Amino acid sequence: MSLVDDLVAALGADRVKAHPLELRVYDKDAGVARGPVAAVALPESTAEVVACVKAARTWGVPIVARGAGTGLAGGAVPTEPALIVALTRMNTIHEVDLENRTAWVGPGVINLDLSAHTTPMGFHYAPDPSSQSVCTIGGNVGTNAGGPHCLAEGTTVAHILAVEMVTVDGEIVELGGPAPDPIGLDLRAVVVGSEGTMGLVTRVLVKLTPNAPDVRTLLLAYPTIEGAAETVSQTIAAGIIPAALEIMDRPMVQAVENFVHAGYPTESAAVLLAEVTGHPAAVTAEAGQIERIALQAGTTEVRSAVDAAERDLLWLGRKSAFGAVAQSAPDYYLHDTVVPRTRLVETMTRLYEIADRFEISMLNVFHAGDGNLHPLVAFDGRDEGARERVMEAAEEMVRVSLEVGGSLSGEHGIGLEKRDLMADVFSPIDLDAQARLRDAFDPDGALNPGKILPHGSRCYDFGMQPPLSQEPAL
Amino acid sequence: MTDRHLDQLIDRDRVDPSPGMRESATVVAPATIESAGATLAAASAAGATVRFWGGGTHQGYGHVTKADVVMSTERLTKVVDWQADDLTIVVEAGLPVAELEVLLEDRNQSAVLPELPGSATVGGVVAAGVSGYRRLRYGPTRDRILESVLVTGDGRVTTAGGRVVKNVTGYDIPRLVTGSLGSLGLIAQVCLKLWPMPKRAATIVVEDAAAATRVAYRPLAVLELPDRSAVFVAGSEDEIAAQTRDLGGTEQEGLAWPELPSGEWTGTMRVPPASTLEAVGRVRAAGLTFVAAHGVGEIHLAAGSSSAASFGELRSWAEAQGGSFVVTGRPADDGLFDPWGSPPPSLTLQRRVKAAFDPAGIANPGILPGGI
Repeated sequence: MSLVDDLVAALGADRVKAHPLELRVYDKDAGVARGPVAAVALPESTAEVVACVKAARTWGVPIVARGAGTGLAGGAVPTEPALIVALTRMNTIHEVDLENRTAWVGPGVINLDLSAHTTPMGFHYAPDPSSQSVCTIGGNVGTNAGGPHCLAEGTTVAHILAVEMVTVDGEIVELGGPAPDPIGLDLRAVVVGSEGTMGLVTRVLVKLTPNAPDVRTLLLAYPTIEGAAETVSQTIAAGIIPAALEIMDRPMVQAVENFVHAGYPTESAAVLLAEVTGHPAAVTAEAGQIERIALQAGTTEVRSAVDAAERDLLWLGRKSAFGAVAQSAPDYYLHDTVVPRTRLVETMTRLYEIADRFEISMLNVFHAGDGNLHPLVAFDGRDEGARERVMEAAEEMVRVSLEVGGSLSGEHGIGLEKRDLMADVFSPIDLDAQARLRDAFDPDGALNPGKILPHGSRCYDFGMQPPLSQEPAL
Repeated sequence: MTDRHLDQLIDRDRVDPSPGMRESATVVAPATIESAGATLAAASAAGATVRFWGGGTHQGYGHVTKADVVMSTERLTKVVDWQADDLTIVVEAGLPVAELEVLLEDRNQSAVLPELPGSATVGGVVAAGVSGYRRLRYGPTRDRILESVLVTGDGRVTTAGGRVVKNVTGYDIPRLVTGSLGSLGLIAQVCLKLWPMPKRAATIVVEDAAAATRVAYRPLAVLELPDRSAVFVAGSEDEIAAQTRDLGGTEQEGLAWPELPSGEWTGTMRVPPASTLEAVGRVRAAGLTFVAAHGVGEIHLAAGSSSAASFGELRSWAEAQGGSFVVTGRPADDGLFDPWGSPPPSLTLQRRVKAAFDPAGIANPGILPGGI
């Protein structure tokens, strides 16, 4: 008997992968790291997930849950030979409740499929990561994914009311519920964004958002990136929280225009996409207010999309950004830090300086309204030393964000990629608290081990006393 | 550490009991977060139980617990860092909500905490996990806690989250502490996400709150009381005029928020939003006073001792809808009626999470559902 035999007995041979060539498909995500895979299981029900967990526990093999594998931080990449539980086949929209504006869905449902399903009913699922046409709701739950429209609507955690989860012991537990503020500790909030380290989510109760009665999208072009950033700061300071505020710099605008020909102004130093949604009586006025702020900040061109076709064209450029980069260089490294919105200009200036110094090609497209930066470094991994140079610059870029009071990740997650930088953000006491919280769910470290927290986060690992607060002698 | 060590720390920070506390209570008010840490570490070592106290407005929540020491946040009231242009503010837990909102009004901002907070503190509101009426538009309080400083039951000063509006760096402890009722330790400081407030706001009186909920576009709140219903809106002049027209109601300038119902017994029923209408019917039939938030599914209630008998039946119904009925205030001599009702199915995990932060079990022990 073996792990694979147990899995085959539970799922059937066609939904268990053990051949080295098949395993290779599951040994990485959309980032750069690869890891060792013991076997892959493709369950189709909660009961089958329970069987997978029990089999893995019997054989002492760690478990890594996986959606579509679009993550960039290595969250789904195993650090030791693991059972990959790919939840992509649990892709049923179980129940849409329009009265309560909710839906129970499987973790394998593709983000955009859910919105496509409910849009004709007048509702959509608000978080819209750039990968939304392929990424899954379960993966979104794992990383607490974001997207351009999270500025006004909040990230994934604000849209998840409940999850059904299989614990490390193979028990099925429901966290959260359909009514507001379920009683007891809010474990749902801890599971969202926990990157598969607390359990395997098998059903999700999502909140649906009514489609806006009116939308206005503006494209604003600037001779300097400071002008675009200034418009963002002034808009928010004026009390307007638009649905989205996205900035693209000149290299990105040029790459995108070459790729999709959306008519972007390629001679501008920066382009700001601002989208206002709301009551028809408010949208025109707010768009007008943003336009006035933009003119004061030095915009040289204002385009306003009046219908859905024009709006889609303006968004096409933004949503094609990563495809456009792939056309110009075979590899890219995408950052995801957040800085206070008032420090955007200063941070960008320092990032350009780093890119110049390391002689790397950096393109920017980012969620300016949240201060969520996505410097994208395009390179050719076949060039000698290119990858090392990019990674060295990357670390400096992250440190710049931290120095101005920012955070390591806004929406991609910590995974493997930023695990060892956690100690730059949190004290040993803070990390120890996070490790203990994780241990409450997974005392043996069987669920996605080696992720999020750097090795040695548990003070007890080294027989140290728990660090207590320093108190001056009485 | 010894009891003597705890006694010394208590003597250093001792204050008189506040109104609402037992007169014989041992009350400490640490002047710094680190002092609170030292006292909790000593309390854990000595096995002394601790209850936390902000403004005293939510002390009726949860199971009645016994505390050897009451830790008050009355000396932790600093505004640590207000970044008005970033719409974030860091405050200590003991800052009264009313004071915070007055400060923020200067820049037309709000933390969107309960509108009529009384003496409630920021820490108390976060610990109780309560939200204001405007949660329909701005979401619950929980979604505004960006960073938390939690002094764990055993005295560790732990920071989680961050001071930016979007963040997935580490586990979401800020949302976990929201509503934890002091069961994990002292919520000592938080960073709140702020919202800019529209310049104009109005209260539109309507006949049918449920119908208005379907028509209104992103109102702040739709509230039904025994004798009146209103939609609360904010935005531009044009938008308010248009919403008033759409709703067919009469507009009054400003936001006339109703006080929460008061009585010998108080409680909150929470049901899926679409069940609000039926909940209101049941609450009316039981003769209770109430404020019902349509679109949210939150119904605040009050009753005298005669009508409190209906609580049990209302709870059964709310739980059958997937909701809850929480008793938030009751006569001092009545500890028998369970304040929570049926505990959540995740009790084993809940217990383990509590123990991860409060291994000695001294922080408000037993206050949560299931006696955790």
